Amino acid sequence: MKSFPILLVLFLVGAIAAIIISIFLGNQTAATPLAGGETTVFNRASSAYEQPSAGLSEENFQRHGEGDIAFEAVFVTPPATINSGLGPLFNNASCVGCHIRNGRGLPEKGQLLVRVSQNGVPPSNEEFSEKDYYAEAIAPAENATPVPGLGTQIQEQGVYGHPPEGKVEIAWQEQTGKYGDETTYSLRTPEANIIQSNGKPLPASVMTSLRIPPPVFGLGLLEAVEDKTILANSDPEDKNGDGISGHPNQVWDIEKESLVLGRFGWKANQPNLIQQTASAYVNDMGVTNPLFREPDGSEDIDRKTLEVAAFYVQTLAVPARTLLKDSKVKRGEELFAQAKCSSCHVSELSTGDYFIPELAHQKIHPYTDMLLHDMGAGLADGRPDFQATGTEWRTPPLWGIGLTQTVLPYSTYLHDGRARTLEEAILWHGGEAEVAKEAFVNMSSSDRSALLRFLQSL
Amino acid sequence: MAFAGMVLLGGGCSSVLAPKSQSRNLEVAIITNFADGVIIPTYQQLVAKAAKVSQTTDAFTTNPGAETLKAARNAWIAAREPWEQSEAFAFGPADSLGYDADLDDWPVNETDVQAVINSNDKLTPEYIANLQTTQKGFHTMELLLFGTNNNKKVEDFSPRELAYLKALATAFDGTANSLLESWQEGIQGNPPYREVLVTAGDENNQAYLTVTAALEEIVQGVLGCLDEVANEKIGEPLETQETDGLESRFSHTSLQDFKNNLLSVQNAYLGTVPTAGTWGKSLRDLVAGTDPALDKRIEMEIEGAIAALDAVPAPIETNITSPDALVKLEAAKTAVEALFSTMEQKVLPLVQS
Repeated sequence: MKSFPILLVLFLVGAIAAIIISIFLGNQTAATPLAGGETTVFNRASSAYEQPSAGLSEENFQRHGEGDIAFEAVFVTPPATINSGLGPLFNNASCVGCHIRNGRGLPEKGQLLVRVSQNGVPPSNEEFSEKDYYAEAIAPAENATPVPGLGTQIQEQGVYGHPPEGKVEIAWQEQTGKYGDETTYSLRTPEANIIQSNGKPLPASVMTSLRIPPPVFGLGLLEAVEDKTILANSDPEDKNGDGISGHPNQVWDIEKESLVLGRFGWKANQPNLIQQTASAYVNDMGVTNPLFREPDGSEDIDRKTLEVAAFYVQTLAVPARTLLKDSKVKRGEELFAQAKCSSCHVSELSTGDYFIPELAHQKIHPYTDMLLHDMGAGLADGRPDFQATGTEWRTPPLWGIGLTQTVLPYSTYLHDGRARTLEEAILWHGGEAEVAKEAFVNMSSSDRSALLRFLQSL
Repeated sequence: MAFAGMVLLGGGCSSVLAPKSQSRNLEVAIITNFADGVIIPTYQQLVAKAAKVSQTTDAFTTNPGAETLKAARNAWIAAREPWEQSEAFAFGPADSLGYDADLDDWPVNETDVQAVINSNDKLTPEYIANLQTTQKGFHTMELLLFGTNNNKKVEDFSPRELAYLKALATAFDGTANSLLESWQEGIQGNPPYREVLVTAGDENNQAYLTVTAALEEIVQGVLGCLDEVANEKIGEPLETQETDGLESRFSHTSLQDFKNNLLSVQNAYLGTVPTAGTWGKSLRDLVAGTDPALDKRIEMEIEGAIAALDAVPAPIETNITSPDALVKLEAAKTAVEALFSTMEQKVLPLVQS
């Protein structure tokens, strides 16, 4: 009898605690920003970028598996019973050869690409002679003007008997800088020395742009974002006066034969993943396909293979963030917003209708606005691509970026791989991002470290 | 009310702290042994056997004969063992520095291999380095040593083929050494990759923010390997019933590859390389500490999958269309899939929690 009230009190305290705990946990779950919405996977290992989207139907899961095989297929010189169609010129022999483990590549032969073009009017369909450029895919209409004999990309390899178009050697120049607190840092800039197969350097009039392979996961979700969602963030005249003037690229859609919004690639010069994939097959591997055929109309891979390879990247999942409750990570996330990084690296977008229903109508956290921004002279390649000027780049997504070194040790950041760390990548920001960069430079070292910790948690 | 809740929460936390740090010690011991007791010994064996490939190939190409050819072929088959046993932990420098591609890209570019043979090109180390990955490594050596269908005779070797084979074996040996070096000593100015794994969770570790992530690496590697064996290596040929897709079809040793992949899984799980005599804390200790029955089940499923593969009539290259072989191959695929499911549904959550 005596102990009854004590039991009652204990019971009440326990019940209240249980309610508080459940509210606490419930809020945590609700607030957990799942990078890829319901398609998010939980993997913080080296295979983090190689997972099929969560929740795929059995049929789409199978299709993803078929696409995986296509993406891994190493092409060989015809005639061959399997994977025939390589070359004659190429940069790599498989998708996965550049996009190793679907991650970010290194600025090295086989992964580094050099885009080239020259001043002048781009050729129209009629003028364009594929044999001049080894059947390189050059979308007509207002794009870069190809260089005679080279096209718009230097292929560093050839099948037997076909000399590569050139050899690319990179020399790095170091420069130092200082944070607000006098701590020094060092940045490196690549200088490409390109020697053509005839032993001569490229003519000075040729514009060059170095590129490393970007990671290829989560792309279906980005394709599923509606044009109007992207355009909602567009502000080319900076009417809101925030110093940010993002605008979309307008690029040539080969199948629609019209200009459409650009989404993929470092300068958003590809409209969709089928064309991106088809272009990579023909330009990077010399594998002709239904979008880019041989001059005689034949093709190395059929529509089914092209579509299944594109489907693979469309359904590659985004990994979930880690250390969400870590106080340093939380602090870093606040600083990311305060420094206005999130003006371009927009944390949340929604997908619309999509042909893969599992990816439709998701709330995603890609940290990109998919728009082009002036990034300043330091990062400029001086090579326009459709509406993208020589100083503009598309905001790259930051989701999963903390796993870069897990997936592919020694890989680096930014379009040409010049940034060895995320810290260096931030320090390279200029142009519209100058203010955000300055905010970082003037942070205390513990705040800088917290911001970087947040990026690593992505 | 909030105060009461906080107190209870606080109490809850301190009561789990002690076992948490014990389990942290176990986790660190597991990843350390994974690097030092599994990965590095496997690559050490690869290096030893690659040296043997180089030596026996030198002997054969200098003095072509039935005996020297047999020795070179056996050395090649022996080198496949550690290599395929590294399949469950092929992350890190093996991929990013291109060693995996140089050693084991597939299929062989037979057209361009033949072009090299037909040419008078000087087969310098630089020339070999610049070849496509499908013109060197295991499978080009396999094609040269065994012919397209394990049917090559000593008299079939042209001087050019002998020279090419010799140059490839030398390059292969070099790549195997670089791979071990990248893990053990560090290469191209980078720290040894071993350090990256065993210091998981350290403040400045760029690859593994937590010890849990490194532990997950072991399980995900196992899952990736099992998925590839079931769905690609066995699954594709089973579906097409053609030999083109079989991994080591020139030498008729594809079944051995599959089995070595399963041994890779077993070694990763048990934290051992039996042939190297290494042993230490492993995933198994973690599983058995929580759920001994699950550990037993996993060990049985691994053994079961290996036994199912052993039951397939060898070589699969000549038996692929036989009804018996197809039934056995299907059974092996099912056994590997069962192990995959257990690992994915039972072990992964245990590690991630």
